[in-house]
Amino acid sequence: MDDMTSSSRAGWITGITVTVVLFILPIFLGQLGKTGEYWIWVCTEMIIMALFAMSLNLILGFGGMVSFGHAAFFGVGAYTVALLMKKADFPLYLALAAAPLVAAIAAAIVGWFCVRLLGLYFSILTLAFGQLLYMIVFQWYTFTGGDDGLHGVPRPEILGPVNYYWLCLILFVICFLIIRMIVNSSFGLSIKTIRENMERAKFIGINVRRYQLLNFIIAGAFAGLAGGMLCELNRFAQTEFLHWSKSAEPILASLVGGMYSLAGPAIGSSVLIFLKIFLQQVHRSMVEVWAIVLGVLLLVVVLFAPQGLVGLYQNIFKKSQS
Amino acid sequence: MSEAILSIENLSKSFEGNQVFNNISFLVEPGELSAIIGPNGAGKTTLFNLITGALVPDEGKIIFEGRNIVGMEPFDIVRLGMARAFQRTNIFPRMTVLENIVITIITRLKGNLGFVKHWNSSDRIRKKAFEILESVGLADKASHQSGTLAHGNQKRLDIGVALALEPKLLLLDEPVAGMSPEERWETVELVKELWNRMKITMVYIEHDMDIVFGISQKVRVLCYKTLLAEGPPHEISANQQVIEAYLGEEV
Repeated sequence: MDDMTSSSRAGWITGITVTVVLFILPIFLGQLGKTGEYWIWVCTEMIIMALFAMSLNLILGFGGMVSFGHAAFFGVGAYTVALLMKKADFPLYLALAAAPLVAAIAAAIVGWFCVRLLGLYFSILTLAFGQLLYMIVFQWYTFTGGDDGLHGVPRPEILGPVNYYWLCLILFVICFLIIRMIVNSSFGLSIKTIRENMERAKFIGINVRRYQLLNFIIAGAFAGLAGGMLCELNRFAQTEFLHWSKSAEPILASLVGGMYSLAGPAIGSSVLIFLKIFLQQVHRSMVEVWAIVLGVLLLVVVLFAPQGLVGLYQNIFKKSQS
Repeated sequence: MSEAILSIENLSKSFEGNQVFNNISFLVEPGELSAIIGPNGAGKTTLFNLITGALVPDEGKIIFEGRNIVGMEPFDIVRLGMARAFQRTNIFPRMTVLENIVITIITRLKGNLGFVKHWNSSDRIRKKAFEILESVGLADKASHQSGTLAHGNQKRLDIGVALALEPKLLLLDEPVAGMSPEERWETVELVKELWNRMKITMVYIEHDMDIVFGISQKVRVLCYKTLLAEGPPHEISANQQVIEAYLGEEV
């Protein structure tokens, strides 16, 4: 019991430290002129994509199901914000509140079908639904702008780059705490129980499909919020947000960061984005070798650190203690 | 005669044309500790799968406490008060021993939709969980990852999970399979003690005839797609049909 409280205290200290550093980070970056402004933008994107990765990990790491269609809900959130703000003159805070709700409804419809299937079949169906939504957005030119996307999403004047960064950080911290609460709750334990042994879960009286669907909807809602936040950052929504390749990003992030930990996917996502941009900054031609770098990185992780960066850290930490 | 807790009526099942059961019927009395025996492939586990809803019979009824449960989902049947422990250890390996028991209690109490409180925040549930771990001898291993336990302990945990459902009827599929001789008798003593103390109706499948004839009040023999014989141990061990079909010369 003592061990548990001390490790949770360490978690709180780490969390608060990281949050404080992230809060004051833009003040320093602001001193660096144009480069600083660029990095504030990058950091905002990192925070948003970290939330996206964490949302997927509710299904992937905690639920034990691989969804190849998670970007659909990310995209639905982005288009919700773009459409509400551009066409219905919604204020940002209402549009950002609507994004997870609309995404949750989409996830409820898609999930209702998908949780009926297991393993690879579940994955393929999520992929199919994701691409279906992608095609709808792509083709419905009058409503979604087709492959042009929706540009010129308004930005409230008080939200300069730094203020928007802080808004995203606050939303991220709130979502992190909510996800943490869900994962540690009775519901979270039920989801882990289903992951560990679905057949046995039925025989202790768990209605497996119902909890898988609920989890799918919750994950979709957080993805929708992340999508809405990215839409406002870029001030546009585009079809690429729903594309299956966007679904792969949080999966890779979870693999690299460690899918059996809470913060792992967020860390993995940030590391990948940082590496990609860093390589770009080193030399423009490095953009072309990014796929190779990513491939090698994944190979190393899968072979030598299957629990991801968080698992690696824990192993080293444990060894140094004993 | 008291009302049967479980009544199997004219049950038939076949897989792709191969008949496993042809018209089986029997009654399980409340409070009995009984064994099901039979040669490999006689369909003992299939029978448990039919009773617990994992499989649906082709024909026949399964009446549990006066209610036909054919076609119900396994998790609904569990909620009526029927639990099972499995032949192959069937636990939640990357969860602690305590988590295995607590989630079962939470599910019995319909608490799965709690989103706010930590799963381990209820003193009442934790106390109950430790009572169960105490009774299966695993209290000192509560914080161990259950998948790392020794085989015998995993089987005890499996039984503990079933007990946490506070069942009226408990089905045990070869509770001592794969155990060392000492572990076997320890587990048999455990099962018998639980049965004495908790007054749960227990039906178990077992191959070890010393155990079967040692502790059962009643033995049922599955063979030739049907219930070959049913009765107290001394009758079964003297039954000419059973000896020819299954027990062989040595008994």
